[in-house]
Amino acid sequence: MTVFVLPEKFLGKDQFTPTPYLEAEVSSTQINLGESFRLSTISENIGDYGDIHIVSAAFPTLTKTDGIVRMVSYDFSNSPIYIESGDEIGAKYSGGLETVYAQYPSIEAMSRPIHPGTKYTMDLQITPDELGPFTVYVKSIDIPHTSSLSHFPTEGQLDHQGEYVLVYTVNVNP
Amino acid sequence: MEIRQTQFHSSLQKNSPKIFLIGSILASLGILLVTVGGSWDITNHLLNKPESFFSPPHALMYSGVAIGLIGAAISFLGYRNLQESKDVFRLPLQLKFIGIFLLVGAGPFDYVWHSNFGLDGLLSPPHFTLLGGMLFCSLGGMFGISRFLKTRELKNNFANYLLVLATLPVWLAGSGVISSLSLPFSNTDYFEFNPEPTFAFVIATVAYPFFISLICIVTAKLSNFKPGVITILGGLFLLIYGMTAIVPNFALLESVEFYSMNMIPIVMADLIVSFRKTKKVSFVAGGILGSGFYMVYYPYIMYTYNEFLLGKLVSPSMIYHTYFELMPQVIQFTIIPAVIMGVIGALVAFRFSNKILVKN
Repeated sequence: MTVFVLPEKFLGKDQFTPTPYLEAEVSSTQINLGESFRLSTISENIGDYGDIHIVSAAFPTLTKTDGIVRMVSYDFSNSPIYIESGDEIGAKYSGGLETVYAQYPSIEAMSRPIHPGTKYTMDLQITPDELGPFTVYVKSIDIPHTSSLSHFPTEGQLDHQGEYVLVYTVNVNP
Repeated sequence: MEIRQTQFHSSLQKNSPKIFLIGSILASLGILLVTVGGSWDITNHLLNKPESFFSPPHALMYSGVAIGLIGAAISFLGYRNLQESKDVFRLPLQLKFIGIFLLVGAGPFDYVWHSNFGLDGLLSPPHFTLLGGMLFCSLGGMFGISRFLKTRELKNNFANYLLVLATLPVWLAGSGVISSLSLPFSNTDYFEFNPEPTFAFVIATVAYPFFISLICIVTAKLSNFKPGVITILGGLFLLIYGMTAIVPNFALLESVEFYSMNMIPIVMADLIVSFRKTKKVSFVAGGILGSGFYMVYYPYIMYTYNEFLLGKLVSPSMIYHTYFELMPQVIQFTIIPAVIMGVIGALVAFRFSNKILVKN
């Protein structure tokens, strides 16, 4: 009975699809060199129960984050992961089965597991050290990644991991 | 004062077998806590990825080590004052000492390992030391309790419950050893200790059915095939495994119903051996018990077979689907070897139970 009857019943059950939603805000789009701006994110799992909720903030105009990006507040369950240029990272929402080498640094915030409706916030203070446009890529991914529902945004610009990102630009003036 | 000392000493001597029994019970109870904590710890790592050595499952495990240590000390006190049957209790004491030595050493070893290499996987030198300690110490407790009951010819319900307490930690500790040699949970940033998938497949297919059958039939034999003993033992194993590996994972909660179905072959085996009480029917019971190993070790056993058969990336909430997806293929490959190993487990159980009861 255990072997032959029940599996059909259990196979018929839908797999959980966690669905991230992300709002990000920069405190200012114009700053002077030496000044800081804030990047604040609020993310939520609006889908089913999931294993991991990730929010990533990447800095394509930087080669390192030391002395430039500072974590101000953070309420995810696990410590953030600091990814440096050249690190091997997962790509194309494959959960690590496909990998690429990071072209620029990023910070990955992570909570596990994630129940539906749970919200997480992260606040970064960023002090650019060069003039010109300073770009930040922000995205959220939930695991298991079962479909396009499990990442946010679902369209737009792709980053070095081949994954969609929200793009924020702050002009750094003299 | 001297008279009091003499009275105390004579009381110690008189009660030394009971003191040894208390030590053995504590040793078994301690290892039971360590194994429960260990199973919970695996789930905790899989679901929450804790970043610190100091976690509730670790606290439970090391409380168990402390109780086991007290048990070994009390056993030594009892053994020293034994007037007769010293040779009967020597082996259990030695096993407990080896076990406790490994267990106590595993704690600081694990801490140093964590400090130098971050969080380790399931199979690592400190974890294997811990598992070895658990196995030796639980065997010491089992030999001690069983031999006490044999020397006193105790055959009441209390004796049967004690037998279950004696063998359950051995089952859990032995399962821990098999799991660490077959589950792909051991690669870390520093080391790749994951077992090779084919090796893991063979180990799981051979060792789990053998061990389920061995432990259940040994317990039944030690209780002189008392009805209900296998059911209680199997029920407690499923309860502990269910509470530590299934219930904490929200995505698996609904499968508790499926997991409880494991009671069917366990009760069947119990009925078979307690009605006929012969070696031959024990082999039948062993075959039945062995055949259900893929269900008994749900959910994590899926990872072993997934590595070999599918190679999918399975996060904890996907265990459920992958497990059932794999089930027909796993049954097809393993049912015959599992039944055979179950029968061999029952055969070995008869020899092993004789060894338990015969001195050294």
